[in-house]
Amino acid sequence: MKKSKTEQNQTLLIGIGNTGRADDGLGWLFLNRMEELYPDRFEFEYRYQLQVEDAELISNFHTVLFIDATVDDLPDGIALKVCEPATEYFYSSHMQSPEAILYLAKTLYNKQPETSVLKITGYEWGLGKPLSSPARQNLDCAADLFRKNYILQEEPSY
Amino acid sequence: MSRKITIDPVTRVEGHGRVTIHLDEKGRVDESFFHIVEFRGFERFIQGHPYWEAPNLVQRLCGICPVSHHLAAAKAIDQIVGIDPPDLSPVATKLRKLMHYGQIFQSHALHFFYLASPDLLFGVDAPPEKRNVVGVAVENKDLAVKGINMRKFGQEIIKALSGKRIHGTLAIPGGVYKTFTAKNRDYFLNGSDQNNVDTMIEWSQQMVDFIKSYHEKNRTFLDEFAAFPSGHLGSVQPDGAMEMYDGLMRAIDAKGNITLPDVHPDKYADYFSEAVERWSYMKFPYLKDLGRKKGWNRVGPLARVNICDYIPTPLAEKARKEFVEFTGKKVNNFTMYSHWARLIETLHCAEVIKELLLDPDILSDDDLVRKGEKRQTGIGIIEAPRGTLTHHYEVDDKGKITRCNLIVSTTHNNDAMNKAVRWVADKVISEKKKITEGMLNQVEVAIRAYDPCLSCATQAMGKMPLKAELYDSNGELVDEKIKN
Repeated sequence: MKKSKTEQNQTLLIGIGNTGRADDGLGWLFLNRMEELYPDRFEFEYRYQLQVEDAELISNFHTVLFIDATVDDLPDGIALKVCEPATEYFYSSHMQSPEAILYLAKTLYNKQPETSVLKITGYEWGLGKPLSSPARQNLDCAADLFRKNYILQEEPSY
Repeated sequence: MSRKITIDPVTRVEGHGRVTIHLDEKGRVDESFFHIVEFRGFERFIQGHPYWEAPNLVQRLCGICPVSHHLAAAKAIDQIVGIDPPDLSPVATKLRKLMHYGQIFQSHALHFFYLASPDLLFGVDAPPEKRNVVGVAVENKDLAVKGINMRKFGQEIIKALSGKRIHGTLAIPGGVYKTFTAKNRDYFLNGSDQNNVDTMIEWSQQMVDFIKSYHEKNRTFLDEFAAFPSGHLGSVQPDGAMEMYDGLMRAIDAKGNITLPDVHPDKYADYFSEAVERWSYMKFPYLKDLGRKKGWNRVGPLARVNICDYIPTPLAEKARKEFVEFTGKKVNNFTMYSHWARLIETLHCAEVIKELLLDPDILSDDDLVRKGEKRQTGIGIIEAPRGTLTHHYEVDDKGKITRCNLIVSTTHNNDAMNKAVRWVADKVISEKKKITEGMLNQVEVAIRAYDPCLSCATQAMGKMPLKAELYDSNGELVDEKIKN
């Protein structure tokens, strides 16, 4: 139903996670920060997990960025990678990978938005725990990386 | 050599469960169990919270059917503020019903298209890498797109009413906090894209036709697979019509004799008890009069179609009549007909949604909330997608919850799912030397027909690895299959 912003913005940011589980909330916290900084520049969607119908959602955009916490020990605590369609399917209906969602968008809607995945390393996953200090540093790094790749590239240089 | 087979977890169901099948020296099934091994906790940790928090807290039980918990709790909490269901304002009742039917519509669409259709389209023995929604998308694009859009339609109705597709808020004690807008109504009634209610009715009818056609080609499978006699429980209006939001509880036995005669929800505790078993966290509800062994009932679409006298919308009623013709109007005890019944209900929901969208009451912003004389007990019963759902709260003088009892739909089907597992174990796995993935999937197909929501049933959070193991009598691992 919400069309006005979608018509203006061609980039969708999807944060995956749960702020009720410490560093698992990194994806959402990243979105909170970007929504505060650039409220009208992007479309924002919060997800606990990706679901099949998200294929229809992303098919409406030119560019999509998934942001998710990871247990992987990444250099600088972050990694930005191009996402390619893949048929990997999780056995539950409500936990799909970005690659599978992209594959479904391509297969069902003949759309393949430019898609990337931003992973942010987390360390604490307990229920009701706050974001850990090292995860907060990684979140800062992720914001810087995003600015470099998605904001500065769009801004005119003088 | 006796053996034990473990399916852990059961796939393409909501939540996580495990099956174990014990074989004797000759490979015959000794015993089988459908275990739910997650921890339950909502009934306890909600104690001490103020009553008005309950509808929002308990919906966190689930990401698939939170609306059902939200509304069942709201119906109970209405009574705490002195409002029985008939006393709720027409606008509040109709808006809640609109969200409820939107919820059942999207949940049934999810189950059929994402979880069940791969088994029906590709067969229970098809390779697992094909037997999933991605496989459906590749081979049957039209069906997959319809499934996604039907689920989206129901979710958008929920979002329009509650602000979010999952875990939003519409109901507050004694009513609703906001009304519907003409813009929203027009979007769902006349939307220019595929998401309008007439398209949903048309597609739902097509799905009923699809399952009828499937039935013609696979009748033996549908008639025989995991079939067994049982009782059936659901809700009806006073004249016997199918009712999902607020009805009387009716149960019948396997032959159609009434075992629970249209009982008001307030009386549920007089008729029901719950048993526990050492091997599962999921309880086993049963009718006290009939006892633990004979008093359990199936719930959900098949039960509801069985117990009602008619469905009060024309297309779904026509579909119901065709459905009951196949059993000569006798009670349908065939597990696999649950899919057919679920699609009839999907059609019914679409028809009811249209009726509600056309009702001018849903646009009223007067009389959204009512209050009466406060009480200390509230009982809300609703027909959730998976069956009869009971929420019962007691509060102290300060309005803090002192007791909470939840009888979640899937728990009613606990015995039925165990019986279905046993059927497959006996007919498919018993006395076979090699256990194939296809055989194990048939165990899951039997469970899947009940669309269990295991996280709801135990109010749990959790994650399990995915593997099937075969042990000899000495506990040595002799075969292992990893599924992903």
